[in-house]
Amino acid sequence: MESKPTPAEAAAALRDAEASRAAIAGGVVTPSWFFTSIAVAISVQIATTAVGLGDGPVWVLVAGLAFFAAVAAAQLVRFRRRNGVWLGGLASRVVLGTGTAASSSYVIALGAAVWAALEEQWWLVVLCALGGGAAYALSGLRWLRGYREQPAARARGESAAWLALCGAAALAGLALLLISA
Amino acid sequence: MDDLDALLVPPARLRLAATLTAVSEAEFATVREALQVSDSVLSKHVTALEGAGYLKRRKGVHQGRRTTWISLSSRGRRALSAHVAALRELTDGIE
Repeated sequence: MESKPTPAEAAAALRDAEASRAAIAGGVVTPSWFFTSIAVAISVQIATTAVGLGDGPVWVLVAGLAFFAAVAAAQLVRFRRRNGVWLGGLASRVVLGTGTAASSSYVIALGAAVWAALEEQWWLVVLCALGGGAAYALSGLRWLRGYREQPAARARGESAAWLALCGAAALAGLALLLISA
Repeated sequence: MDDLDALLVPPARLRLAATLTAVSEAEFATVREALQVSDSVLSKHVTALEGAGYLKRRKGVHQGRRTTWISLSSRGRRALSAHVAALRELTDGIE
C-alpha cells in the first residue's frame, strides 16, 4: 500500500503530471494545409450558400455544403492519424466553428454574402466569402494556441447530442430560408 | 490518506490520468511514448484505473493496425481533480 507522500513528493508528482500533460499537448500538430483547406472550404460554402439563396440553383448550395463536409471529415481523419489522439475541442471549435469568434464571423460573413447575392454584387459575395473563411481559420489558429497553454480546459468539445441539435437547427433554418426564397 | 486517492498516488498513474485530460481520447502507443514507459507498465496502470471506472478503453484502428484507444471517464476526471486538490494542500506548506 502506498504511503502518504511528503510535501516535496507531492510537489514533484504535480510537476511531473503537468509536464506529461504539456508534452502530449505540445506534440499535437495539424496536418499539412489544415487551416488553409478549412478556410477554402468555408469560403466556398459561404459563396455557394449565398448564390443558392439568391437566384442560383439549390444544387449549388448543396454542393457547397457537401464540399465543406468532405474537407472537414478528411482533415479530421488526417489529424487523428497524424497525432494518435482525438480532440473533441478541435473538431467542434475549429472545424465545426462552434467557438464564439468562428461562429460570429461566419454568421456576419454569410449574412453579408447573401445580401450581396440578392443585390447581384458578385465581387462583394467573393469578398465576404474570403473574409469569412479567413476569419474562421484564424479563430481556429487562436484556439490551437490556447489549447497548448491550457490543454485540460480546451481538449473536450461539445457533446455529440449538442452538436446534433445545432446541426438540426442549422438545417431547419436553411430549409426555411430556401422555402421563403 | 485524507483526501488523496490511493489509486492515483503512484506517480505514473497520476501522469497517465493528467495526460488524458489533455485529449478526448488517445491511442495506446501515443500515451506510452508521452509517458516514456513500457507497454507492460502502461497496460498495468490502464487496467487498474479501468477497474475503478476512471478510464475507458476500446479497440480501434490506428494507421492500419488494430490498437487500443483510452480516455478518462467523468468519474476519473472528478477523482483526479480531488486528488490534485489534496496534493496542492500538501504542498502549501513548502512554498
